[in-house]
Amino acid sequence: MDAKKSEVLQGTLDLMILKTLHALGPLHGFGIARRIEQVSQEVLQLNEGTVYTSLLRLQQQGWIVSHWGTSENNRRARFYSITDLGQKQLTLETENWERIAGVIGRVLRLERQA
Amino acid sequence: MRMKAIRIFLSRLRALFTQSKANSELDEELETHLDLLKERFVAQGMAPEEALAAARRQFGNPTLLQQRHREARSFMFFSILWRDVAYGARLLRKNPGFTAVAAITLALGIGGTTVVFSLLDSVLLHPLPYPHSEQLYRLFPLEGKNKRGVEQAPYADFLDWQRQTRTFESLAAYNGESINLTGTAEPERLEGSAITPGFFATLGVTPLLGREFRSDDAESVAILSYELWQRRFGSDAGIISKPIHLDGLAYTVVGVLPPQVPFRSMPWGTPVSEIFVPVVPNPARNWHSVRVLGRLATDVSKEQALAEMNGIAAGLAKAYPDSEQARSIAFEPLAQYVVSDASQTVWLLFGAVAFVLLIACTNVANLLLSQGAAREREMAIRMAVGASRCRILRQLLTESLLLAAAGGAISAALAYWAIPLVGRIAPPFSSLFSRLEDAHLHLNWTVLGFSALLSVLSSVLFGVLPAWKATRTAQSSLAASHRMYRVRGGLVALEVALSFVLLMGAGLMMKSLLRLLDVDVGFRTEHLLTMDVSLSDAKYSTAAKQAAYFDHVLQHLTTLPAVVSVGVVTDLPLTRNETRNGFEIPGPHLVQGAANYHAVSPDYFRTMGIPLLNGRELDIGDSANSPLVGVINRSMAGKYWPNENPISKSIQVYHAVVERTPEGEHVLFKPHLLEIVGIVGDVRQLGLDVSPDPELFMPYDQWPAQEMSLVLRIAAEPSSLIPQVEKQIWRVDPDQPVTDIKTMDEWVAREAAERRFILLLVGAFASIAAVLAAVGIYGVASYVMRQRTHEIGIRMALGARGHQVVWLILRQNLTWLLIGIAAGLPGAFALTRLLERYLYAVRPTDALTFALILLAQSAITGVASLVPARRAARVQPMEALRHE
Repeated sequence: MDAKKSEVLQGTLDLMILKTLHALGPLHGFGIARRIEQVSQEVLQLNEGTVYTSLLRLQQQGWIVSHWGTSENNRRARFYSITDLGQKQLTLETENWERIAGVIGRVLRLERQA
Repeated sequence: MRMKAIRIFLSRLRALFTQSKANSELDEELETHLDLLKERFVAQGMAPEEALAAARRQFGNPTLLQQRHREARSFMFFSILWRDVAYGARLLRKNPGFTAVAAITLALGIGGTTVVFSLLDSVLLHPLPYPHSEQLYRLFPLEGKNKRGVEQAPYADFLDWQRQTRTFESLAAYNGESINLTGTAEPERLEGSAITPGFFATLGVTPLLGREFRSDDAESVAILSYELWQRRFGSDAGIISKPIHLDGLAYTVVGVLPPQVPFRSMPWGTPVSEIFVPVVPNPARNWHSVRVLGRLATDVSKEQALAEMNGIAAGLAKAYPDSEQARSIAFEPLAQYVVSDASQTVWLLFGAVAFVLLIACTNVANLLLSQGAAREREMAIRMAVGASRCRILRQLLTESLLLAAAGGAISAALAYWAIPLVGRIAPPFSSLFSRLEDAHLHLNWTVLGFSALLSVLSSVLFGVLPAWKATRTAQSSLAASHRMYRVRGGLVALEVALSFVLLMGAGLMMKSLLRLLDVDVGFRTEHLLTMDVSLSDAKYSTAAKQAAYFDHVLQHLTTLPAVVSVGVVTDLPLTRNETRNGFEIPGPHLVQGAANYHAVSPDYFRTMGIPLLNGRELDIGDSANSPLVGVINRSMAGKYWPNENPISKSIQVYHAVVERTPEGEHVLFKPHLLEIVGIVGDVRQLGLDVSPDPELFMPYDQWPAQEMSLVLRIAAEPSSLIPQVEKQIWRVDPDQPVTDIKTMDEWVAREAAERRFILLLVGAFASIAAVLAAVGIYGVASYVMRQRTHEIGIRMALGARGHQVVWLILRQNLTWLLIGIAAGLPGAFALTRLLERYLYAVRPTDALTFALILLAQSAITGVASLVPARRAARVQPMEALRHE
């Protein structure tokens, strides 16, 4: 396994999917996986199946909804889109994430100084 | 947060109905995804097969994903449960031998516990049959310096308590009363109670017909129980104000009680009162004549009531310093009084049966451990293909639950059969018997619910260890078999310890019972028939009439050819009755003593077979007109005349005479001088386990009594003569009931009844425990033998002899046995202390019992381990080595 690739942090996949759907509009699972792959620039190692687990979780919480449509190459595919509730959750989690990331960043810098 | 949980819940609820659609949709989605990935890799220049493999790698395991989704989507609990149940049931069916042994073992444990719980339910949980019975209390006086509780209170005191109390809503008094129902075809002796007005209001019972007593009622009014009204008066709706005859006098019926409100004047097996008459007032403050019952006001605490009662007692002490000085008032919940020592009995039995249940669970745990070893491969495969440890645990526990359910179902059938049986062998004349009868002991819903709960609980008890073990061995794939032996040896030792405690208990009870039945009662109990006759005041008002009646009865009975001799006595031995009274020995130093007074006929001693030790027996010459004489027993002679001959000594005795005045009943003690003419042997008067007391016998012609017992020595089987005896007695007075007709052997049996009951149950539990422990030892020994086949093969190939192999296995089990007994020993000593009340002439640390049980358990262990050990010794070395 490529040593440079990191595992996706627990819980962050949900946030990434929400953000992806927010940014790109309705997408199917394959599309979401591609987008994350593209954005992460091959740094993250993603077991693509787990995207679907995450999607189910988000659906159950009412943050995204799905409908069946036709994909680019004329296949039947399930498209997911973010709901109003999901938008709110995204804002909330983004702030949360930035706060935590900021704190962790500060802590790490502090360590270097000491 | 809560909103989120609710949303998830709702979505899962929806999913319950769209399960299969969701599954196929997900399949389609995943397939599309994989296809797209593959196409992408092909576009990047991979070969199709290579692309598919790469796509699978990147995607992960779709089956696992599908399953996780199913779990997340729905209440997996139910569908997994259902699958586990189906799988478990299949497994149990495939192993009928294992299933049967485990289910029967559990059924014995759960069934036994259920039966004892049904007793506990009737005795402790079943409320008294009166509304808000938790407010009912029994009030009683404490007497003397050491504040001894006295069952009954003086009637005059009761009136003061009743007048002054504010914390008790109402107080009422009652007392037991046996009354002859006469003036009908067959005279009958009825058990009843004398009660004060307001008694039923205090209990909370409203008469079905008529009313209860009022303070302005005449003396001769009566209230009937529903059952008596049905039985003897044909449910006559017009019974109110009709006269009935009690003890030969006309009484007016003023009320009939509703059904199912049993009241007993005493809780120890006294029959339910069928008839109620007014209490006769008694002004004496030193004559304890009534029991007092009170209903505490709802908003009053017990402390407040106690404070008030202390105040009332202090007031009475000031007003009547002679009799009330050292008297105070106490109360206890009526339920506690009614249950009395029955609670101790049921808790003892419950403790004993809990041991059986524990042993049963230990046994099944051991069986499951053996099974777990056989299923190691299955578990290893399951975990290899991705089953989580938690999932396997859940499956194994479901199997345990299934097993427990099977055991529980059999146990319910067992309990249905055994509960009435236990009810029938319950010792009569005990509060246990009364409670079981009043609660209509049967398999009710509470008991069934308890049994179900117990099944679930025991499945956890026996299932957790083997399940945990199974998942661990599967994980480490190599069994840490030596640790395993130790666990199982520990379980066997636990079984031995538990069964040892029970066997000790049963052994001690058995020895007590044998000792008790071996007691020399002082007379010949066989071939004796006894019965009671209680003459009514109205018809037999004078001493002469009473004596004449018994003279005639004795004459008529001696004409029966099978009757060897007949006697009468006021209190028969072993009937737990006594009339204790004081006497004085005149002389330079006045000695005050006490003895049980008896009035007897001259033939009484000969009939009973009580030996005359000195002087002469009473004879017909000792009549009403000759000087008063008496015969004493050896104990009385030894106690009061240790160094001299009491014959022809005189003592002052007191005759209690009840006089009726307009104020009520007065009891007067009239002194008489009596000459001792003979000494007879001691008898067990108060019970097999009570040492003889001083007894004084006087001729009934000189010391007349209304209530006497007849005793007949009969050359044939005593009970065969009952009809003829009754006929002879009724020839004297057809209106006179004869009650409590029993053989003396029945009285002896009754004496031993309580201990026999406990012995029967504890003995049954101990036997089950011993058998289960033996099965457990056998099971583990054969398991160990199988596990060590290889080792044994090597040992034998190297020249070990058969008996050495046998000893190898035997030694192991005997070690466990000794560890178990060592562990059980302190438990046995601690628990048999609970038995102490029921033991007779045996100490809880009885060495002989201990030795016998040690021997028995060693023998059982030896036999149980010998079978597998001998099988081990027959192992062919080559076969054993090829086996692996």
